[in-house]
Amino acid sequence: MNIQYKKGVLELCVLALLKKHDYYGYELSEYLSKHIDIADGTVYPILRKLKNEGLLTTYVQEDSGGPPRKYYSLTSLGREVYEKEREEYLDFAKKIEILLEDDNDEKE
Amino acid sequence: MKKNEFLAKLKDELKKNNVADIDEIISEYEQHFAFKMADGYSEEEIAARLGDPLQLASQFESNIEYKTSGGKKIAAAIGLVFTDIFTGAFFILLVAWEIIMAAFAVSNLVIAACLFGRVNFITKFTPMPYLSAVVIGISAAALAVLSVVGCIYFALFIRQLMRAYGRFHRNTMAIASGGAVLPPLAIYPRLPAKVNRRLRSVALFAMVVFTTSFVLGMIISMLLSGSIEFWHTWGWFGYNAVN
Repeated sequence: MNIQYKKGVLELCVLALLKKHDYYGYELSEYLSKHIDIADGTVYPILRKLKNEGLLTTYVQEDSGGPPRKYYSLTSLGREVYEKEREEYLDFAKKIEILLEDDNDEKE
Repeated sequence: MKKNEFLAKLKDELKKNNVADIDEIISEYEQHFAFKMADGYSEEEIAARLGDPLQLASQFESNIEYKTSGGKKIAAAIGLVFTDIFTGAFFILLVAWEIIMAAFAVSNLVIAACLFGRVNFITKFTPMPYLSAVVIGISAAALAVLSVVGCIYFALFIRQLMRAYGRFHRNTMAIASGGAVLPPLAIYPRLPAKVNRRLRSVALFAMVVFTTSFVLGMIISMLLSGSIEFWHTWGWFGYNAVN
């Protein structure tokens, strides 16, 4: 699948995951590279961008054993932006789906 | 590529691209290595799966755009002070109107209660027959409900307007200083459809009750007093009562 598609929706995916609960960077990287098949390192620039925009905050938590973990958490602004973009994306995807399935019908 | 080589390449490239907080970024990748190595992956494997450090570095936003001239920022700040003063006055006006509407609702409720309870504290009005008092009281109560709904709508509207202005304020500063611009907010409050429907039907019901009971109250008063200008007959507003 085209890498550009994936990059476009990656921000939305990160926000969607963080809406459920807080994650540390590595967890997000693992989840996304497993499910969307992108390079492991791609998620960190996105996290940084979202943080710069005020959609995420971070806090460090020391867990027993292993290095201290930097957790990412959605801000109320992030929540708001996520709801809006989610709606826009679903609406867009629905339209594309109709268009593509229409094409399918004509061929058969 | 070994871990140290990967991190060094990434660091150099980030420096070249003028990215802020490089140490923080590097420590994030260091953590990634640590977690993966704990899972038993080799350094080479981890580096390969992370992706090309040159490419990764290019995905971090350069800091240059955040360092726009201070003059632009100051100009935006001064402009915003004036819009803030103007908008602030406007908001005071809106809030004042909200208070007036609330006072109107309360006074209607008091009038209704007085009419129902045969309380007459306004000496300008001589008591009217209880039947007309009850019917007009119902219309006053309905008007109170109507104005309460109006108050709720208007309060939500003011709140949303303030939030939208706050967002505009923030975005203007963000543009001037090269920060991220957020989506603007709608001016009108977007209530859940259910709440919206309920408020509308309450308002509609109150409106119908108000009009019918008001007209009915007038007619009943006219019939009971035997005169179209019943307020003359009952001696309201300082007229001498006609007996």
